[in-house]
Amino acid sequence: MFEGVYLVTLAGTAMVLAAAFSSLIAFRFGAPLLLLFLGIGLLAGQDGLGIPFDNASASYFIGSIALAVILFDSGFGTALSSLRLAAPPALSLATIGVILTAGFFGAFAFAITDFDWLESFLLGSIVASTDAAAVFFLLRAGNLHIRERVRNTLEIESGSNDPIAIFLTIAFVELISAGAAVEPGELAIGIVLGFLREMGVGVFAGLLGGRLIVMFVNRLKLDPGLLPIFVITVALVLFGITGAVHGSGFVAVYTAGLVAGNSGMRSTATLKRFQDGISWLAQIIMFLVLGLFATPSQFISILPVAIALSLFLIFIARPVAVSLCLLPFRFARAETAFISWVGLRGAVSILLALAPIIGGLENGRLLFNIAFIVVLVSLLVQGWTIGPVARRLGLIIPPRSGPLDKVELELPGSAHHELLAYRVARGSPVARGGRIPRWARPSLVIREGRSLKPQDAGRLLADDLVYIFVSDRYPRLLDRLFATKVSLAADDEEFFGAFTVDPDHLASEISAAYGAELREGEADLTIAKLMLARLGGHAEYADRVQLGPIELIVRDTDAKGEIDSVGLSLEPQELAPSMPLLLTAGEIRDRLARFVRRMRAKPAKTPDEPAPPDAA
Amino acid sequence: MDLSDLIDQKAIMPSLRANSKKQLLQLLAERAAEMTGLPEREVFDTILQRERLGSTGVGNGIAIPHGKLAGVKKITGLFARLEQPVEFEALDDQPVDLVFLLLAPEGAGADHLKALSRIARVLRDGDTVAKIRATADPAAIHSFLSETPASHAA
Repeated sequence: MFEGVYLVTLAGTAMVLAAAFSSLIAFRFGAPLLLLFLGIGLLAGQDGLGIPFDNASASYFIGSIALAVILFDSGFGTALSSLRLAAPPALSLATIGVILTAGFFGAFAFAITDFDWLESFLLGSIVASTDAAAVFFLLRAGNLHIRERVRNTLEIESGSNDPIAIFLTIAFVELISAGAAVEPGELAIGIVLGFLREMGVGVFAGLLGGRLIVMFVNRLKLDPGLLPIFVITVALVLFGITGAVHGSGFVAVYTAGLVAGNSGMRSTATLKRFQDGISWLAQIIMFLVLGLFATPSQFISILPVAIALSLFLIFIARPVAVSLCLLPFRFARAETAFISWVGLRGAVSILLALAPIIGGLENGRLLFNIAFIVVLVSLLVQGWTIGPVARRLGLIIPPRSGPLDKVELELPGSAHHELLAYRVARGSPVARGGRIPRWARPSLVIREGRSLKPQDAGRLLADDLVYIFVSDRYPRLLDRLFATKVSLAADDEEFFGAFTVDPDHLASEISAAYGAELREGEADLTIAKLMLARLGGHAEYADRVQLGPIELIVRDTDAKGEIDSVGLSLEPQELAPSMPLLLTAGEIRDRLARFVRRMRAKPAKTPDEPAPPDAA
Repeated sequence: MDLSDLIDQKAIMPSLRANSKKQLLQLLAERAAEMTGLPEREVFDTILQRERLGSTGVGNGIAIPHGKLAGVKKITGLFARLEQPVEFEALDDQPVDLVFLLLAPEGAGADHLKALSRIARVLRDGDTVAKIRATADPAAIHSFLSETPASHAA
């Protein structure tokens, strides 16, 4: 008995360690890491080292919990701004896309296998969702700089499409195991109703749970070490409760993660770090368990069929479904193609493939094996080629800034300031002796291991480490100063604004021309006076004043410290929204109105999304 | 937002001749008046008033004059490629040979600003600008303007 504890611990930890080490290899070669995890599970399993593990229910249980943790973390890490940018196309893919993919795949499976209709669609549902872990990892690890809207669409899609596939799979398993004859019409209605209910309850519970988490974190003064455990546990409680009342627990944790992660609550950075870790562990465990459970020796007989199905999924089902779903949104053809290609299947599909076995279906094991091979093929074919495909399609864009060494710390009691540490890059504007705006002045400079007061440090040198307290409006501009090799030219739009205005003109003129928001009594001031007033009576190079939709920037001051050139930026560096509401009712109304207007104006063309607010 | 939403191929003047900033603005106003049905004077005054607030020459030979007008029905763009560059009091003191005029309805608000920043972004792309300078074919210019410059899109 006691010996057993050590043996199991040893075997388990050995596998986790092997997986952790393999991540080093994966980062170096860009191999789909998850494939390695899966491989280690397979190696250790029945056909490899011979660890006997054949408990479908246990695998499913472990996998579900792990998935809930991963989804909470991916919600937590999704910024509201990227959600707004990409939510409509991503949600279209995550709902209709999943159903279409399952449908196409099911029809093809029915044609080439001996499965009946229900089993074919069950198989389709199992492999219908893309895998968040795989997509996030490959887009980030591959250091692929692609257009933000495309990246966000893919990430949000993969984070939010699992619940639908899960729902469909379970619905089909229940139908088949009930064995009753079904009316197609009744079936469809039942599925739609059940779906709406699961999603509705899930979203509602998630919003509520997210708020609760925020409240707990802000009110309870828990020990910082305990706090992350507390939060993840509340998320799992939420998962359990929602599932028990027939809502989708996965939707609930994802939504709760979104709400909590975007609330600007205290300790967000600490939580993020902890969840990154726990989410890795969850992935490793999930893949290991699923790998252990599989028996590759059973694969050989079904290999041709399974590969045919995989190729159909990759080259026909997913591209067709994606093109249809993205029709109403303006994506370039290459972008649609890329989104189709990043239809990586992963752990969720394998996890779902356990459902037929647990449900006691006659073909359960066969379905599992086919799904497993489909995932393997997808990870191999698509996972390994994302980079080359993106390059081929011409979607790679040059990185926005040079290498950057940045540590974000959390400041207690401050929602809108942070302490950033930068390593001054060789060739960056400050290292070349450029002027440093006052909002970018370091509080501390570390040079060759010695801490210097900024006034003693003199001119900043390359490889200096600087610590800067900064309002969260500025980090992107700081990146430009400290990390890019590009010099700051006078026509640098991001830094100085696209246009210039004469500081001696009246503020009311910019308010008339651009809708600048002025306070009472400011309309009669000159632009220079207005800026001076807003800046507390003293203006310096690169000071910025936000006036609603625009921002004025001091381009230069004269010898007497008077503003003599002003830039006007149409894309102010926005404050992160602090309200966890996704879209307000007003915004939804505006969007609908805009949609309708565009549809009327141009029946063939479709609404487009606001240009990326931070595009540069 | 795509620039092809803002500008029609008919609104492209591929080889305009102008001797001065004023004449250039007049020619643009004249063409804009034809397109929108507004009095030429009103268009001219609006863009001139904006120029007084600060030149819209954004550098590299590019200018983006703009203004809001009550009578304009929708955001309307006009593009001119000049045979000979003219002095425009631009930021970098370079004469201007590519001009994008943007007129917006009084109530356009955020859409107006978004359109402007989009235009600025497209015309900041060195490749796009070089391609436009190299041709006098309105259809080609229109398609270059409508392309999403990959390097600046994110």
